[in-house]
Amino acid sequence: MAVCVSSTCDRDWNDQPALRKQIRPAMSATAVDLSDVSKRFDDVNAVDHVDLAIRDGEFFSLLGPSGCGKTTTLRMIAGLEFPTEGRISIFGDEMGLRPPNMRPVNTVFQSYALFPHMTVSDNVAFGLQMRRLDRREIRRRVGDALELVQLTGRERRRPNQLSGGQQQRVALARALVNEPKVLLLDEPLGALDLKLRQAMQLELKDLQTRVGITFVYVTHDQEEALTMSDRIGVMDAGRLLQVGVPEEIYERPTSPMVAEFIGDTNLLPATVKADGQIELVGGQIVGADITASPGAEIMVTLRPERLHIVDADGSFPDGHNAIDGTVARRVYLGNAVTYGILAGNVTLRVRVRNAPGQRQFDVGRRVQVHWAGDAAVLVERG
Amino acid sequence: MTGTGSTVQPRGLARRLLAANAWLVYGFFYAPILVLIALSFNENRLVGVWRGFTLDWYAQMAANTAVLRAVRSSLIVAAASTVVATVLGTAAALSLERFRFRGRRAFDALLYLPVIVPDVTMAVMLLLFFVRVADAMFVVSGAQVRLGLTTITLSHVAFNISFVAIVVRARLAGMDPTLEEAAADLYAGRWQTFRRVTLPQMTPGVLGGALLALTLSLDDVVITSFVSGPGSTTLPVYVFGLVRRGVTPLINAVSTAMLVASMALVLASVLLQRRRGPA
Ligand SMILES: Nc1ncnc2c1ncn2[C@@H]1O[C@H](COP(=O)(O)OP(=O)(O)O)[C@@H](O)[C@H]1O
Ligand SMILES: [Mg+2]
Repeated sequence: MAVCVSSTCDRDWNDQPALRKQIRPAMSATAVDLSDVSKRFDDVNAVDHVDLAIRDGEFFSLLGPSGCGKTTTLRMIAGLEFPTEGRISIFGDEMGLRPPNMRPVNTVFQSYALFPHMTVSDNVAFGLQMRRLDRREIRRRVGDALELVQLTGRERRRPNQLSGGQQQRVALARALVNEPKVLLLDEPLGALDLKLRQAMQLELKDLQTRVGITFVYVTHDQEEALTMSDRIGVMDAGRLLQVGVPEEIYERPTSPMVAEFIGDTNLLPATVKADGQIELVGGQIVGADITASPGAEIMVTLRPERLHIVDADGSFPDGHNAIDGTVARRVYLGNAVTYGILAGNVTLRVRVRNAPGQRQFDVGRRVQVHWAGDAAVLVERG
Repeated sequence: MTGTGSTVQPRGLARRLLAANAWLVYGFFYAPILVLIALSFNENRLVGVWRGFTLDWYAQMAANTAVLRAVRSSLIVAAASTVVATVLGTAAALSLERFRFRGRRAFDALLYLPVIVPDVTMAVMLLLFFVRVADAMFVVSGAQVRLGLTTITLSHVAFNISFVAIVVRARLAGMDPTLEEAAADLYAGRWQTFRRVTLPQMTPGVLGGALLALTLSLDDVVITSFVSGPGSTTLPVYVFGLVRRGVTPLINAVSTAMLVASMALVLASVLLQRRRGPA
């Protein structure tokens, strides 16, 4: 069976060097392009007018809470669902209603979806057999793929004779062996325990760098997304809220939802005064690193680890903002202590590293919370 | 979890009563069967009185041409109706589980009708139907359609489709639908997906359904006796006829043989059902 039946198919996959990093063009091309894509199920807007360009060779993560439309987006790229509105192109080819078996992508399913009646090597060989590759070629590539995921020696096992981590690797090998232009992964580490998951995160990232295939990775775990991704797209309720490199997403969120979802933060309502200063709802004036138009109702996000505590009469560096408050809560976390500091009508969460010589505070003590001017980030009020 | 410390496990008197109940139920089920089997080896012509062990009745059974003809009819009907009902029942199960189409709900409900409708009703319906068809055929073409093995087979197909469909559907419903999506994602077309993934997954269900159909066909009396013609009796119908003339150990021997055959089939069916893929 010919995989590329469309005349617009520009590259024959069999010409691609086996699982080797390709030379990237100077101007990175767009691997997957979603243009105003929506998907409605009966009365649910699962995906709501999403515009997104995923670059060739990047590790792109779709991040968001459960039910926000990540899986649906991925399934539309794979061809397992079709958009209600909008267009999806893969390397410039518009996919339209092209079925999954005619698309240059492969998927690692959340449940792995390994064929239970086939051995590990038959599972991995499946895609190549469907494309009618030469027997010897199939054997060689299956061997390579299993070696890549360190499953050599397990060829004759059945999926139910493997551990969760091994099943996950088989699913990965079964997809990668086809050398797709884009690999789609739907929470592939979700079923693994924490230790294994963390190890696999690094391995997956490493693998992606080696094979140079574009990864579109779906996860609801923000730490996982930050660890692995070149860029992250944050979704909520079907909408794509922000796209950027991990630092951007974490340090300059553009909406309260992104600020809250990625890491822990203090979100404080505020208004912009005529002189450009920011006034918190409690009346406190603070500085922030972005200016907004006067009169605007905004939110200020302050990361707990960017806040510092000193005694009520203590000193802090010039240029820092400060608020007076009382220690209302203290939680010991081992490597850190988090405080709840009651300041006016808000409680600020502050994270203080548990290091030798680091001063800690008792509940009820009067203190000042201070932070550098650029630690506060303005976001539009959602 | 240990059984002894559990609060949900019955204890003391309740436990003993439950055990006694189980024995009673099993006794009720199996005592008649044991009596039947024992008496098939009874030397005495009078069924109720034990005289001594003999295999004569089995020898008589093997030599009785009427019995042998009935066995042959039963096997032909069972084989033919099982093959046809398995193909049609599997197709029905697939279409109900995998496709959405107009009238699906109605089709779904109607499919189970033969399971619910009493055998006698089903038998009368089929008989009337065949008589009408025969009349019509005679008027149209002058051909004579008689009740016989063909009508018996058609009737068995009619009720067996439902049973096959139910068994195959249960298997399909338990199958992970993402397996088929994974096949499509790995470049398999519809037919390849069916042949390489769906079919191997549902095979135990299909075999189980076929065995159930075979058993039901071999056992049926009511419907068969309505739609059979002269000289086309199946084994159960033949035995039923014998009983009306008085119970002899010959009947016990035939019944025992049927029982063993049916149990073997049911057992095979259960084992196939339980097997979750050829792991
Ligand atoms: N096949 C479907 N039919 C109806 N609703 C669906 C279907 N698939 C997904 N949805 C709905 O679409 C929304 C997004 O789902 P999904 O893409 O699976 O979210 P995520 O993967 O981010 O958890 C949810 O509200 C879900 O209930
Ligand atoms: Mg999902």
